[in-house]
Amino acid sequence: SAAGKGNHSSAVGTENTPMLTKPRLTELVREVDTTTQLDEDVEELLLQIIDDFVEDTVKSTSAFAKHRKANKIEVRDVQLHFERKYNMWIPGFGTDELRP
Amino acid sequence: GTQIRSCKDEVFLNLPALQARIRAITTERGLEEPSQDVAVLISHACQERLKNIVEKLAVIAEHRIDVIKL
Repeated sequence: SAAGKGNHSSAVGTENTPMLTKPRLTELVREVDTTTQLDEDVEELLLQIIDDFVEDTVKSTSAFAKHRKANKIEVRDVQLHFERKYNMWIPGFGTDELRP
Repeated sequence: GTQIRSCKDEVFLNLPALQARIRAITTERGLEEPSQDVAVLISHACQERLKNIVEKLAVIAEHRIDVIKL
């Protein structure tokens, strides 16, 4: 949705600290596979993907919260979004007992 | 059987930066800033999503090398 925006400068939050840095990304890649290395343009792309992922998540969950006529996003809104869109369940947020 | 997994306490993304991003979007939509749990959850999901992508990329890259070897 945010394609064509050019760069991921929007990933920059407070005081120019990015949400995700390349060293942090490299660390994660090592956790997955010690032999894998990423090209620099792949790193750029992954940072952009994460930026879009966050934006999309917050926008969708804002809509969920509004639909509930609530004034802020709750954990369950985010879980619903991840489960519906990515079939992804992140445990440990206090709502697990509701699961089968 | 049932697999039990849990997340590390460590937060993957820079939390203040992520929270600023969340705040910017929610404020735009007339909502209050959500609790820190929301940011932590989003951070975990980002980590999971990236791992997923990198795992796939590793397989694809290996496959590409195998083809060259032939």
